[in-house]
Amino acid sequence: MRNPHGAELFCARTPAWAGRIVLKMAELKLLLEHAHESEFATLRGYVARGGYEGLKAALGMDRQGVIDQIKASGLRGRGGAGFPTWIKWNGIPKEKNGTHYILCNADEGEPGTFKDKQLMEQTPFELIEGMTIAAVATQGDVGYIYIRGEFLDAAKAMRRAIDEAYRDGYLGQNILGSGLNFDLHLHLGAGSYECGEESALMSSLMGERGMPRLKFPHAPLPTIAGLFDRPTVINNVETYCCAPYILKNGGEWYATLGAATKNSRGTKIFSVSGHVNRPGNIEIEFGTSLMELLEMSGGMQGGRLKACVPGGSSVPIINAEACEKAIIGYEEMGDVKTMVGSGGCMFLNDHTCIVKFIWRTALFYARESCGKCTPCREGTKWMLQILTRIVDGKGQPGDDQLLLEICKQIDGRSFCGLGDAAAWPVEAAIRVFPEEFDFYIKNGRSMVETPLMATMSPR
Amino acid sequence: MAAVIGTDLVTITINDVDIQVPKGELIVESVKRLGLEIPIFCYHPRMKPVGMCRMCLVEVGFKQPDGSVRKMPKPQAGCTLPASDGMVVFTDTEMVHKDRKGVLEFLLINHPLDCPICDRGGECPLQNNTVFYGPSTSRYIEIKRHLPKAFPLSKYVTLDLERCIQCGRCVRFTEEISGDSQLAFRFRGAQMQPSTFQLLDFESKFSGNVIEICPVGALTSAKYRFRARPWDLETKPSICLECSNGCNVWFDHRASKFVRINGRTNEAVNEEWTCDQGKFGHDWYNDPRRLIQPLIRAEAPELTESAGEAPQAFRPARWADAYDVIAPRFQSQGSRVGVLAGSKISNEGYFLLQKLVREQMKSNNLDHRWTNHLTPREARLEHKFGVNPRQFEIAEIESFSSILVFGGSLADDLPIVFLRVRKAWFQNGCKVVVASSQATDVDSFAHLSLIYRPGSEAALAAGLLHLLAPQTPGVARWTPEAIQEATGVPAAKLREAAEALRSPGMGIVTSHEMLNKPKGPDALEVLAGLAHQVGGRFSVFSCAGNDQGAADLGVLPDTVPGGARVESPGLDTRAILGAAAEGQLDALWLAGCNPFELWPDRDLVTRALENVPFLVVQDSLETEAMAYASVVLPMEAPAEQDGTYTNCEGRVQRLRKVIEAPGDAKEAWRTYQELSLRLHPQAPLFNPSEVLGEISAQVPGYPGPNHEGLLGEGVVVPELGSNPDFSGLESTLGRL
Repeated sequence: MRNPHGAELFCARTPAWAGRIVLKMAELKLLLEHAHESEFATLRGYVARGGYEGLKAALGMDRQGVIDQIKASGLRGRGGAGFPTWIKWNGIPKEKNGTHYILCNADEGEPGTFKDKQLMEQTPFELIEGMTIAAVATQGDVGYIYIRGEFLDAAKAMRRAIDEAYRDGYLGQNILGSGLNFDLHLHLGAGSYECGEESALMSSLMGERGMPRLKFPHAPLPTIAGLFDRPTVINNVETYCCAPYILKNGGEWYATLGAATKNSRGTKIFSVSGHVNRPGNIEIEFGTSLMELLEMSGGMQGGRLKACVPGGSSVPIINAEACEKAIIGYEEMGDVKTMVGSGGCMFLNDHTCIVKFIWRTALFYARESCGKCTPCREGTKWMLQILTRIVDGKGQPGDDQLLLEICKQIDGRSFCGLGDAAAWPVEAAIRVFPEEFDFYIKNGRSMVETPLMATMSPR
Repeated sequence: MAAVIGTDLVTITINDVDIQVPKGELIVESVKRLGLEIPIFCYHPRMKPVGMCRMCLVEVGFKQPDGSVRKMPKPQAGCTLPASDGMVVFTDTEMVHKDRKGVLEFLLINHPLDCPICDRGGECPLQNNTVFYGPSTSRYIEIKRHLPKAFPLSKYVTLDLERCIQCGRCVRFTEEISGDSQLAFRFRGAQMQPSTFQLLDFESKFSGNVIEICPVGALTSAKYRFRARPWDLETKPSICLECSNGCNVWFDHRASKFVRINGRTNEAVNEEWTCDQGKFGHDWYNDPRRLIQPLIRAEAPELTESAGEAPQAFRPARWADAYDVIAPRFQSQGSRVGVLAGSKISNEGYFLLQKLVREQMKSNNLDHRWTNHLTPREARLEHKFGVNPRQFEIAEIESFSSILVFGGSLADDLPIVFLRVRKAWFQNGCKVVVASSQATDVDSFAHLSLIYRPGSEAALAAGLLHLLAPQTPGVARWTPEAIQEATGVPAAKLREAAEALRSPGMGIVTSHEMLNKPKGPDALEVLAGLAHQVGGRFSVFSCAGNDQGAADLGVLPDTVPGGARVESPGLDTRAILGAAAEGQLDALWLAGCNPFELWPDRDLVTRALENVPFLVVQDSLETEAMAYASVVLPMEAPAEQDGTYTNCEGRVQRLRKVIEAPGDAKEAWRTYQELSLRLHPQAPLFNPSEVLGEISAQVPGYPGPNHEGLLGEGVVVPELGSNPDFSGLESTLGRL
């Protein structure tokens, strides 16, 4: 298989340096290769740059062949959980007896993450093609893209792209003369973080309150009974965007990307923000180190690296020391007790007060809890109340231990992942930076006392 | 349900005990088989499980091939987890206890500890679970939330938002059971609260149930609020007689005063629900207008006396005096006397009433019906066509594959039947077609609503018969187009309705409300024929209190107990009133009925009561008719006496005396018995059981006093007609 990105990347992928940082890796643009070209957001420009070759390849295969390619690629869900994509696609009943749905989770609400926004605005056809490939593989009839309500530009771009695709026969009846029928609809959310949870997203799409639904083993998998109780594939925007490239170049080729890691293949877009010189979306290959990612974003701004939240605000925070060791990969990040998550990487410099940072994070989760289950509804609010008290200088001895206890009472007890996601950052912050909490509780003020800190957190 | 419960069994292990349970059964139910309990809040066996409150968390593992148990990393909600083979459940581990403490601590963060003034205190699941499973202290030192404490959701239901634990039971009830979808959650997270849409009134015919299923004191009864503590109340089983469904209820009373009604489980009748008519309709037990002693008018009522005037001319009397005044007026007066009965008298009362009238008064001028059509015996379905007019019980409605609800407004006439019809649709996907002259509550879930022009009900029934059983003689002219002309129901819609109903598991639900419609009796005949022709089942339910009992026990001018013909039929309700108005009656007895409320022709009632020389009003409450009474007899209310009652499906249920009657009020059966003894000395019947024994000897199907069914779900009186012959239907179709 020809590698479109030049031979020098191949040498960087030899197993000899697996796990070690020997060579500096550069940005590897696969999904975002043409993102800066406005032409790429038009059907003509997309096709001219090799677009829709993946779909054509898929249409030449049988359904299982497409799934096998995805399986060979080792593609895992880019939304945060890292679930193998092929298992979802393979779980759709092969004997069709009604509508199958293809759902795209574009409700990108994780604080610190903004990759899907860029993908939809600049490379909308990658998503459309990816969903169409999923439709080929799973006999999907109808697709929905559930876009976060605030993403108006992304929705407009998607609207234009879908209209164009319909016009030229890439969507609708008899796509590209293959006999495939696939309709794609847009749906804008109404401003709830919880609706990014897949079952809540389906509730919302069905016109119900955006609350999560029962999951396996309490209810059938969405691949059996998802949207409107029909078999449903649901994936993140970035996941779908990978599919065209996998089909175009072959699953085995895709699997060579990130081969240095244990079980993470391909590229991942990181939305780097925080105190860095060049924040933005950076697409890297799995196996890149976190420090390289920092370097690609122009290094720290205004101070030394103090901490990093590498995968969106839900994932556990790590300190600078752990950052040095962190290799980006689903399992590798686990070694430093954090996660790849959705790729919302926030670097924090030494003017950051961790207590206030966590207070702000807790505020987010308390506001976004849907209220369905007791641990999340009451626990997030209680944690916020305690953290607010600490930040206001009225902390009491034992508050940090109490917070840890509450985290334990939420983690794994809540109905859906939001509760876990609310508990992890608090638990990790107290574990990684206990002295800051101790100091704040004891003295009623932050351990970080710099003018910059005061500017950053006016409270 | 989360999973379909199959008939095949799986073996699961609960706390090291192996047990076989149906595959897919929820773990929260499975543990009950071992006498264990998993604490719950949001779970309710009659509603879909949601797993919201997390109180039921248990540890779950699966047996591995090598015999070891691999536990799932997270605790699982027992209320949503279906049992599967090899599942290992732990309800008593340290982790489970810790999780329960955790959830209760969370719930109590915002729940006010106002148990000492809370209506629920003493019967509160949150209180109970906290005592059994909760932490002894809370680590919560922040300020609790403050929200409206007495928000009136409706005239019946008051919401205390501070106490709400967001379990969603009430919301789910209105969505899944009553179907009015009046409640929903608004806001999210810790601010989430149940509410009506746009804070409008909670308009439901079943709102009272949410008060009972609320696991805390958040939803309270506006009538019961702050009136009593549960442990001060005495609770006894009772039957509700506010309509004909015969709901089983708990009658809570204190110092012989009625306090509140709660639903009592009877799977065959009301499951555990009540309607608002029943739950909030018992206040009259405490009404200051209750009659407490016999009253005798000093002299006969003057013609000039107008209705509504306070009956000052009465003097309180002893029962013996009252009987002395009444007896000569009625004894052997034959066609010169009449008796009209209401619907809240026990079977024993009705039986002795008709006996008194027929044997001592030598009269057949006796009726309990207040409908527009007073169908004579020969025209009734069981006698005209030999067909049973009640072919299914309430619980059997669930098994129909399609249901035709015909005429009236089911949720108002037969609220509990309505809930079953809805359940048949909601749980079993039954197709419901509703035909009525107006929009009804059934429309919300009906497959089709056929709205016909008032008065054209018989034509619509004929139209359905034409489509479903075209071979019926005489039905040919009722083509869908002719029906469209006659009823206003579009022909295409009628065809669609017929298609929906075309299945052997079809049921037709209708009620005596049809007898108030211009062509109601004809429609009933056609519908009975329709069910017969297509192999479906048909029931026409009575609508008021113990009407069915009155009919079975011969409180009719032309039928004796058991259904046999009377040699010379007496006058029916209309004729009795008419005769009284014309001065052809010397004495009239109103037994627990107020014709001013029951009979539409108010003018006729006024003239009748004015012109009858001697009027006995026997009732529990003061009524308008009392203004014309010569003698007033106080009657005990149903919960104040022993007795049996027959509900709309023909189910005989026993009600044991709950409270003492006020003053000198007397059971209806005893009044008739005592008067009867005065008129004709004979061996007395000493108690209702003896009367019931007499009934069971005379009326086929009625249970004797020792029938064990009376201890349980009641005894359904079996079929009447058994040889259906619809040859007479052609003439009915001809005259429509």
